[in-house]
Amino acid sequence: MSGAQAAIPPQPRAKQLRACLLCSIIQTPADFRKHGCPNCEELMQMKGYTDRIQACTTTHFDGVIGVIDPEQSWVARWQRTSKYVRGMYAVRVKGRIPDDVEAELESRGIKYRPRDQSEQD
Amino acid sequence: MSDAEEDAPFNNEGFEENEEVEEEEDEEEEENPPKPSRRDYDDDEEDEEDEEDEEDMGAERGKKRPKRTKRSAVGRFLDVEAEVDEDEEDEDEEDEYARDEFVVGGEADEDDLARRAADHARFDRRERELDDQDLAKIAEDVSQRYRRTAVRYSGDMSDIPQRLLMPSVHDANLWQVRVRPGKERDLVFSLMRKAIDLEYSNRPLQIVSAFQRDSLPGMIYVEARSAKQVSDACNGLVGIYPSRGIILVPIEEMASLLQIKKQDLTVTPGSWVRIRRGKYQGDIAQVMDITENGEEVGLKFIPRIDLNPKDDGSVEIMGKKRKKGPTGISSSSMRPPQRFFNYEEVVKVYGRKAVSKRNQVYVFQNETYKDGFIEKDFKLAGLQLDNVNPTLDEITRFTHGQDGAENDANVDLSIIAEASRKAAISVLQPGDHVEVFEGEQSGVHGTVHSIEQDIVSIQPVGVDFDGQRIQLPARSVRKRFKPGDHVKVMTGQNADETGLVVSVSANVVTFLSDMSMQEVSVFSKDLREAAEVGTGTNVVGNYELHDLVQLDMQTVGVIFKTERDSFRVLDQNGQVRLVQPHQISMRRDSNRAIATDAEGHELRVNDNVKEVDGEGRKGRVLHTHQSFFAFLHNRDYNEHGGVFVTRARSLVSVAPKGNIMKLGAADLSKMNPALSGGAMGGMVGSGNIGRGPRDRLIGVPVTVVKGPSKGYIGTIKDTNGAIARVELNTGNKVISIDKMKLMWRKPPTGVLEPLENAIAGRPSQGGGSTRTPNPYNNRSSFGQRTGAQTPWDNRTPAWETNRTPNPYAAAGKTPAWNAASRTPNPYADGGRTPAWNSASRTPNPYTNGNASPARPAGGAWGGATPGRSGWGGAASPRQTGWASPARPSGAWAEAPSGPWLLKTVQGEPPLSAPTPGFAPYTPGADLGVTPAAAATPGVFDAYADLRTPLAVFSDHRNAVSTPGVSVGMFANQEGEFELPLRWLLETDISNKRGMMVEVRSSHGANGWYNGEYEGKQGVVLSIFDTHSEQFPSTARVQFPEPLDPSQPIIQVPVEVLAPIHPEKPNEEVLILHGPQKGQMAKVNMVEPGGTMVVTTRMFVVEEITSDKLVRIQADV
Repeated sequence: MSGAQAAIPPQPRAKQLRACLLCSIIQTPADFRKHGCPNCEELMQMKGYTDRIQACTTTHFDGVIGVIDPEQSWVARWQRTSKYVRGMYAVRVKGRIPDDVEAELESRGIKYRPRDQSEQD
Repeated sequence: MSDAEEDAPFNNEGFEENEEVEEEEDEEEEENPPKPSRRDYDDDEEDEEDEEDEEDMGAERGKKRPKRTKRSAVGRFLDVEAEVDEDEEDEDEEDEYARDEFVVGGEADEDDLARRAADHARFDRRERELDDQDLAKIAEDVSQRYRRTAVRYSGDMSDIPQRLLMPSVHDANLWQVRVRPGKERDLVFSLMRKAIDLEYSNRPLQIVSAFQRDSLPGMIYVEARSAKQVSDACNGLVGIYPSRGIILVPIEEMASLLQIKKQDLTVTPGSWVRIRRGKYQGDIAQVMDITENGEEVGLKFIPRIDLNPKDDGSVEIMGKKRKKGPTGISSSSMRPPQRFFNYEEVVKVYGRKAVSKRNQVYVFQNETYKDGFIEKDFKLAGLQLDNVNPTLDEITRFTHGQDGAENDANVDLSIIAEASRKAAISVLQPGDHVEVFEGEQSGVHGTVHSIEQDIVSIQPVGVDFDGQRIQLPARSVRKRFKPGDHVKVMTGQNADETGLVVSVSANVVTFLSDMSMQEVSVFSKDLREAAEVGTGTNVVGNYELHDLVQLDMQTVGVIFKTERDSFRVLDQNGQVRLVQPHQISMRRDSNRAIATDAEGHELRVNDNVKEVDGEGRKGRVLHTHQSFFAFLHNRDYNEHGGVFVTRARSLVSVAPKGNIMKLGAADLSKMNPALSGGAMGGMVGSGNIGRGPRDRLIGVPVTVVKGPSKGYIGTIKDTNGAIARVELNTGNKVISIDKMKLMWRKPPTGVLEPLENAIAGRPSQGGGSTRTPNPYNNRSSFGQRTGAQTPWDNRTPAWETNRTPNPYAAAGKTPAWNAASRTPNPYADGGRTPAWNSASRTPNPYTNGNASPARPAGGAWGGATPGRSGWGGAASPRQTGWASPARPSGAWAEAPSGPWLLKTVQGEPPLSAPTPGFAPYTPGADLGVTPAAAATPGVFDAYADLRTPLAVFSDHRNAVSTPGVSVGMFANQEGEFELPLRWLLETDISNKRGMMVEVRSSHGANGWYNGEYEGKQGVVLSIFDTHSEQFPSTARVQFPEPLDPSQPIIQVPVEVLAPIHPEKPNEEVLILHGPQKGQMAKVNMVEPGGTMVVTTRMFVVEEITSDKLVRIQADV
């Protein structure tokens, strides 16, 4: 089992829980600010930047997945999070990553898959 | 590779790392035990660390490199490594491998810190030099590196099409678990935390993941290899119901669980939404703009500014001089009405400084107002996006904007039109008459034949189409109505209104409501043709039309119109308010409210009254309020649904009223038990008819004599059974206390007396001794009382017998005694006992006849008159009640009859004696049903006068023998027979001898021989009628088995003697009742049911029940 793990938000009810637009991990804004996104920080650059967090994460998500063993989990694979850290993920996240990140992804030849399930293949 | 391994080399110098790891992840700490010795100088580096974190990012992008020169060699070294570890912990394995080479080297040097540090520093320096030399190259390196890491991050996954990710049999299964609705997300979090907690325990959770969907309430899904693992994981969590089944999700359904897509509710500028919460709850608003992340939208809507602010303080704080509101009615609890922002108005109320103007925009109380609208940002979650259904009114309001000026630019009706069109599809039904309003077929109309999704096929009307159907998109048809159609509104604010269409323009239909006779405009989609005339709903929530409701502390009002979810209320000041059910604090009951009209008469609900001044309006009283306001209703007025409010003092009754109040005041002597003779006193007080029940203890000054409040003085405010609520004079407190703990403070002196005296001592409240002014019930209670209290009637049984078969009690509703004692209002009481009810309501033919002759006891009876009328009528319904076979006839017939007869005989037969006088009233219903009771002279008085001239009564014996009376009244009452208590004193019987009797009811305090002779049988030798109440009438009875053998013949009070009924043929009998009363006869036959055929000595054959017969011992 991988040791990497995201901060688990203490209060599931908290309204301000935010999901990363790219990897769909759910954290509190404080965690995002303190540690950034555990999966895609190097792209998103959220750590310490509140406005960046606002742009790269959203409160509009539906469904919460507790991924306990990402490697073993089909759910995580389906969600394409099986290479990510353990933690809480959203099933569906509304919104798109900021343009600069999308451009960056494109420049690296990575296909961006929005997590709003608007594109299915 | 594990973190521990990775971290190992840094642990030497990697305190920063260590510290941070510890801070954020417990787990890591376990793997990576801190080294306390190293900790000591962590602290001062912590700040730096943050700084470095930021720098790292910059550094990585090759921007902030120069800063690095500031750092120590160790710091630099750590920085590089820490960065990898922190941010790319598990992502860049290959990269790490490369570094690990280096790291491993470092590890080898672990024992030699200094040397290693130097190495690192050298490395770093080299690297830095490199950087400095070729920034561009570095940048490329960096981007190379990140490309690789990013590829790692999502690369291999995002290229795979989703369908290749479908679950296979090798994957763990999904299990559906029921949970408490609303707890889904919490439980997923709980499971996650539990899994982390137990990870390194003996029994770690075996589940792989768990998830929840908002659209699937009440269940979560757990990914695990077996159901057991799921139940183990769920064990101990609250709100999860594994007992309701852990259901395996079929593989093919797994993916769809994660694909569920809520219907996207997108808002676009211009669309309509409703505000969910707050002051503007339910208000319509238009979207102006949406923030980038879609979380907030800028809305424009009609403000609700309180132009009568309540709180002076808030205005003062703002440093404004407040102009007093025009009405002075504070409305802070009420929602201010929608009203466009008007600079002048607001400035008038809040002062000039409260409003500032910038460009075209006013700012007031931190809100922005433009063109009269308020513009405000709302979170999307606080808005209702679907089913907005803006009504025409709302849209028009928006369109017209402030000052009624056209404001078309701001409102795009197409959006609502579109919405309404969509909705229209769903409301189409086969058979609806529709017209095509767009497309090629525009103008065609016909009836809907069928609907398939969005396609309707219609049967057009017209010559060109004979019989062919055309198919059309549903959106291009709309329901068609023409003036004259009778329609009903199906949805919306005007739902259930019906009316006649007066005009149609496009999709807006205007009709004349059947109810309000006003024109109503609605969308045609909301209409349907209907023949019925709708009533609309009169009930919303707990309130209904014409209820008196409390709006706030000072205001009450009457609902005169109910709308879909609100009311129109006319308050006591004549103002109309639109309120919602939640704004009503309570419903008021004004049934007991008292008001007096212009003539001082009592004004009661449902009275028909008219105004003496003003407009002279007439109406029916709906409610009265504070004895001052009267809410009236008259259908003839259109305004406010016919409800209007006026002052009670300006009303007079339309129908002349009986001077009820005056009667009560006129003859106080009748209400005073002390003035009316003896027990009769109880009958008065009927003058109080119409006054609701009220405990006479209320208002009595008392002293608490026991308990913690002992010694306190107060006044009884309310009573409830044995508990009284006492308002203490001290401390302004109301306490609930047992009545036993209270003593009455007799008014002038304050002498303490038992509380019961207080009741008796307040005669003006009602009929003294009997506690009841109720003439109806009085009769029963009164009779009971008499039996118990009258000295000469020294038998408790009289009381008992009356009580047991008490018709009220038997009727199963209201114990007579209770009812009598509590309820001074016969009508109110009647409501509880069906028999009485009908009696008091049905027109009674005997009413008039009863009045005067039925007053054998004189004036005191006067009050009872209305009672009797009711009672006479009650006889028949009561009878049916009693005729039920369930009643043990024997016991009933015998027990009370003896005493009764005796009593009657003892009393002065004619009207002079009170006993027979009130006897008829005694067991109210008994008399009504039983012929035996009727045999009591008193009863006959009451009845006979209905038919026979008064003269008959001069000698009631005659009256009794009047066949018309007995037969007429009781002919149809076979089977219901009650022998009077003093049957031996009856005419035609008192002169007989040889009757076989049994001593009954001789027990008790007033008993005879202490009941020693109870059950003894004997033969009557003679009867001595004293014709007096004072001296008991007696009979000489010979007992075959006397207690004292020397005295076989004893004088026995007639009351205790009950007849022995014949049982066998050939027994000699005396007929006690009926036309042949007093005749000696012989039993010929005994028929089932106790009926006997007897032949009198006059050779008249009679069929009679045995309880009307007494055995005769012929040889006496």
